[in-house]
Amino acid sequence: MSDQHSPEVKQHSLTEFFFAQEVPYGMAVVRMLLPAVLLLVMVPRWFHARELFSLDGATAPLADNYGYFDFLPVPSGPMAVALATLLVLTLLTSSLGWCTRLSLCVSLVLYTYLNLLDCLSTLTKYSAIAAHGLLILSLSNCGSVWSIDGFIKRRSLRRSRSEEPDLLKPQCYAVWPRRLMQLMIGIVYLGAAFTKMHTPAFFSSDQMLHWLLTNVNNSNPVGEYLSYYPATLVVSAYVTILWEVLFVFLAWRGWNRIFMIGLGVAFHLGTTFLLGLYIFPLVCFAIYASFIYEEDIQRFTAFCKRVEERGSRLVSKLRAIGQSIGHTIPEATPRQGSLAFVAVALLATFGGVGVEYQLDPMGTRRAEGAWPLKELDPATVVPMLQRSERIRETDKYLSFNIGSDMLGGVLMDRKDVFHHGEPIVAQCTLNPPHEDMWIECNLHDGDGRILDRVGQVADRTMLRVSYAFVLRESLLPGQYFLVIRSGGQEITRRPLTLISR
Amino acid sequence: MKRLLAVGTIFAYLGVLVAGLGSHALNYKTNAHPTMYFIVWDMFCGWSAYEDRTHIIGQGESGRYYDLAPAPWGDYRPFGDIERHHYDPFATHAGNLAMNTLRYSDHEPIQQIFVVQEAWAKKFNLPDELWVERYPESKEPHSYFHVRKILGPNGTTQTANLAWSDHQAKLCLSDNPRLAADSNRGKPFLEMQSQVQVSDTGSRPTSHSQ
Repeated sequence: MSDQHSPEVKQHSLTEFFFAQEVPYGMAVVRMLLPAVLLLVMVPRWFHARELFSLDGATAPLADNYGYFDFLPVPSGPMAVALATLLVLTLLTSSLGWCTRLSLCVSLVLYTYLNLLDCLSTLTKYSAIAAHGLLILSLSNCGSVWSIDGFIKRRSLRRSRSEEPDLLKPQCYAVWPRRLMQLMIGIVYLGAAFTKMHTPAFFSSDQMLHWLLTNVNNSNPVGEYLSYYPATLVVSAYVTILWEVLFVFLAWRGWNRIFMIGLGVAFHLGTTFLLGLYIFPLVCFAIYASFIYEEDIQRFTAFCKRVEERGSRLVSKLRAIGQSIGHTIPEATPRQGSLAFVAVALLATFGGVGVEYQLDPMGTRRAEGAWPLKELDPATVVPMLQRSERIRETDKYLSFNIGSDMLGGVLMDRKDVFHHGEPIVAQCTLNPPHEDMWIECNLHDGDGRILDRVGQVADRTMLRVSYAFVLRESLLPGQYFLVIRSGGQEITRRPLTLISR
Repeated sequence: MKRLLAVGTIFAYLGVLVAGLGSHALNYKTNAHPTMYFIVWDMFCGWSAYEDRTHIIGQGESGRYYDLAPAPWGDYRPFGDIERHHYDPFATHAGNLAMNTLRYSDHEPIQQIFVVQEAWAKKFNLPDELWVERYPESKEPHSYFHVRKILGPNGTTQTANLAWSDHQAKLCLSDNPRLAADSNRGKPFLEMQSQVQVSDTGSRPTSHSQ
């Protein structure tokens, strides 16, 4: 056994992996970004805090879905508003790095608690990932650099021990919180890969195709357009699962790190354009900052210095802006800073409750009295309450297309002009649920006369049926139709033109 | 001591993550507890060929019908254009939402509350310009309605039905005469309601969004 595989060396490298010392720049960037992203959703929710999170509204506790009723206490209206206000404040102070650890701990507890009270519109998987992020940040020393805390500490040190310049340098800490953050996102991706492995329709493009057509997230016009090209979804399915499995093993150093993070950025941007997701990608991008190493920052700083030396005004201006922001922070010792934080938190919380009371978002104190209910036309409602009808035959099919090549079981190309002897593939994609069906794909000539009749059984588990044709010279060049029939009726037809070679 | 605490934290945290991963991979107790939601990474685990929406309708003593969701003061739209009550795939919280609207509104006594699921094929979500490119037939969307639950005036469930897609899948199966006959023969005389439905997703909320 070579030395590098000996247990001692392995233990040493494991110790090095978790306990190497570094200035936590990467975690500081996560700290600045993640709470800022969560503010994007928590500020709009603050206006609905009473309705979403309190006994005065309509909570939807996640635990109820698991059969754990009364799992968490539900706060009163004013208390829910106070907690939501405090959460908004602590997310802001976490991002700025003011009383960082306390802010992050409060954010973690309140964010998780409020999320658990509303599984309809607040809790999602990105909330769960963000909660992990806040937990790991609260264990780290991410507030020691690029923060108000760090600034106050350094200013106070500069005053008291200006003769010891080493003390003014950023302090180093063990790297393990950053490792936990990196492993966490890698394990999330591995879990997502398992989900896909459990879903055969993911690899046949059917699952993703239907998500591209779904309108429960934000607008996704690119996704709707791409739903016409299922072969691209088959390819991207395999690329995605490979990336998700390999991420936790490869995203650590060198080009692998750049490649894996680059693929991650592309994947999450894809979810924005194709599925209409906004916050999920931002949460992941914030966590990607944990892959920023101290040497990356040193390299970037050296680059900025070089640019500045060449006479760039931009870097000098940015530096001046940073310094002027520093001057706006009042003179205070760390202890005074903490006391000011408590005072601001109390003031903001009580102020928030007062403002929300004045806003009266549910209109409980309206001058006009209680809200009238909107009456519905019985002609609209009565049919809705009737016995469910069976699915129409036309709704059981999603698409019918003609081409000549298949990839991963789906049609790769679309065409309607074929030469004599050229293979033709006609593919009908089905919408589940459907019963066992007999689906005919018949060849008609231009005058509507049936020339060939081909049928197939599509059992209830099948999502598509394909028919292969080769039109020989026995058929005259001209226009023909392929007609799909099911349940004794014509569902749809596609024209094709046959030409001589 | 500090190092020991750090090692303990690392082991505990990674242990929990790996336990969640194992549970998910082997489909073992993934719904055992609400906290599993935080360690089981099953994003986009479900899918459907039909888009659905939820209607919550109250019927007053006079027989008139009232819209109970969205609430008259306007509802929160969390992930796009649709209101909060549409993100309740199991209709678990519809009663709570209805009672909240009734609490802050002026109305005659309500006798019944209907939770109705509306579904339509997702192909009809395509914008008209893309529809014309892909389908020779005209776009004629059709909605299916299905009473998911009937609630009493205090929001308690009186009748609960299968979700629309499960109901339709059952109808498809009942086309098999032998299966239908066996199923009818196997029906109990008394409904004990002791059995729970077991499915891939169980009662876990399949996130509509992410």
